[in-house]
Amino acid sequence: MNPLPRLRQLAAGGGFIAPFTIVWVLGVLVPVLGIVVFSFFRSRGVTFIFEPTLAAYESTFSHAGWQVLLRSARITATVTLIELVVAYPFALWLAKSARSPLLKLATFTALTVPFFLSPTARTLVWRVILGRNGLINTVLLEIGIIDEPLDWLLFSETAVHFGFLGPYFPSMVWPIFLSITLIDDELIEASRDLGGGRFHTFWHVILPLSLPGIVAGMIFTFVPMMGDTVVPQTVGGGAVLMLSSEINSLFSVMNYPVAAAVSTFALLFVVLFQFVLWLVLQRSGGIAHVFESLRR
Amino acid sequence: MANSDKPKISRRRFVKRAAAATAAITAAPMIAKGLTRQAKASGHKPGTIRLLGGASTMIPGDWTQFEKDTGLKMELTLLKDDPGVFFNDVMVNDAGSRYDIIAMLAGVQGPLVEGDWIIPIDHSRIPNWAGVEPGVKNNPQLSGMTTDTLWGVPIYMNADTFGYFPEKLSEPRPPEEVSWSLVFDDEKTLGQSAVGDNFYTLTFAAAYMKYHKLATIDKVENMTASEVASVADWMIERKKAGQFRTYWSTFDDQISNFVNGETLAQVCWEPAVKESRKQGADIEYAWTPEFYIKWMTSGFIPVQAQDHGNLDEIYRAFDWFCGGAYGALLGPLRGYATPRPDLALDWAKERDYSAEDIKAISDNLDKLKYKYAQPEFWFRAVPDTLAEHEREMARFLNT
Repeated sequence: MNPLPRLRQLAAGGGFIAPFTIVWVLGVLVPVLGIVVFSFFRSRGVTFIFEPTLAAYESTFSHAGWQVLLRSARITATVTLIELVVAYPFALWLAKSARSPLLKLATFTALTVPFFLSPTARTLVWRVILGRNGLINTVLLEIGIIDEPLDWLLFSETAVHFGFLGPYFPSMVWPIFLSITLIDDELIEASRDLGGGRFHTFWHVILPLSLPGIVAGMIFTFVPMMGDTVVPQTVGGGAVLMLSSEINSLFSVMNYPVAAAVSTFALLFVVLFQFVLWLVLQRSGGIAHVFESLRR
Repeated sequence: MANSDKPKISRRRFVKRAAAATAAITAAPMIAKGLTRQAKASGHKPGTIRLLGGASTMIPGDWTQFEKDTGLKMELTLLKDDPGVFFNDVMVNDAGSRYDIIAMLAGVQGPLVEGDWIIPIDHSRIPNWAGVEPGVKNNPQLSGMTTDTLWGVPIYMNADTFGYFPEKLSEPRPPEEVSWSLVFDDEKTLGQSAVGDNFYTLTFAAAYMKYHKLATIDKVENMTASEVASVADWMIERKKAGQFRTYWSTFDDQISNFVNGETLAQVCWEPAVKESRKQGADIEYAWTPEFYIKWMTSGFIPVQAQDHGNLDEIYRAFDWFCGGAYGALLGPLRGYATPRPDLALDWAKERDYSAEDIKAISDNLDKLKYKYAQPEFWFRAVPDTLAEHEREMARFLNT
């Protein structure tokens, strides 16, 4: 007996909601709740002392944890905005201007292939480019623009920004590309037929209809970047302490409650980021209205 | 299907179901853990030594020589040299039920002794122990901190310092001594020295400060909270003065910093110097007047071994680690010493090892005798003020 019709019936009737909910609760909600709950206890070694206390949160503020959180949020937000500015025109070109299938294929490949390498291998190349004896310094010294190598190119926040741009470019490009691809070309032509110039068409037709992609791209870029372990270590050189290093350090000394408190704050930052997105999208009729465009 | 026919889950029903699921799920792991612990407790394998240890324990290739000499099989499971990971594995994940020997940096065993997770070592059951250098035997980090009972058997050890470029810095080569100031406080290396990004860096800085009377510190390896804070203050001053180029995290970082010319002097492990030389860096591993970071990875016997009935096999394995074969195999490879490098030298000569390898083993013997006789200091993996160390290191890195 073919189970497919029954499965299709189940899916159409929302019959997968309950099992999906269970999986989501098990895999996502419980671990997150566990982290928040444990942040309100103390620990001694690997043992928790189950007496509620705010000691972990106090320690986060007296500890460098708060600085690390703010730095991580600042760098992540900055790079996300840079990615948006760079990725949007690229995605627009790829979706609406690049007609050659070969060119599109080459672009897709160029965006995807680097991810067959390990994150460390991909990022390590920046050391060769930005280092004291790296490509940039060598060229600048050769042509006489500088007399001494520029130390700040590597093991600095500048290097971390550079290091994040490459790996997170595709996560911004793909959602925007997909949402722009879904925009009916006839809408764009209609705007032009009615006298709308390029900017007018972009601002009033393309941008609003690509908002779902922008929202998705920002979330898929910001959230994983907050927890990135490779880039801050590899090109930050320990000089740019971000969330992942801080939590690793707390784990190595078994300071689990403070690690949980720092993680809870990180979670709040992510929620805050999504709240900001929600507020901004209120001007466009709200987040639900923005995603309705995908139904057309 | 019309929208009105679609089943709806109300918020109230969703929250109820989620709460029930959460309660069930949080209980499940505890039940499962009890069941798996029972299953694993009987996992002893006669004739096999299951060792939990760091990557440096490993001899590339296989353990053929170990098997030939002891008649036992070796199963090595690698563990990161991280006290937090180690304690979690032993105290939460029941490593003692799954392994016969657990190996970690000495000085980590305090909590294990307090919690009765390991048993004392009967060194009379290790024939090769008798000839171990007093400087090694008397390492306070082998004891239980408050008693003289010995709880560990050294497997491999070294006396760490730092790597440096002698030609670029116009400094002599070993065995002539060069100062730790090249790392912490020297115009010649300003902006081009490097230390690790973990809290052990504060311990090394403390040893430097103590020697040069920049601070009053009782025990460098086990500082009080106020001592740690004063060391961090001084390190922050050095950082603001521009002394440090970077703070490495991994072994590969150490090599990359040397090979790419990012640092002229860097606290590092001796194998990093060996690897960097292979890639063309003309660097040496320093002999210093101030101090050596004397450390050892020690093997401990988990308390569960008493029920497995294989203590004889465990001691046979320990005796092999204290013998000549292991020293001869490991020494040339990593520059590390084993408890009896004298036996390693004899073993290598009997088997016509190359002159280069024999020299490496002989150097290890000289190194052990000289460096381990120096007063400062025996590294302790887990100081009493562990949380304060981490906090002050975070303060240093965040400044």
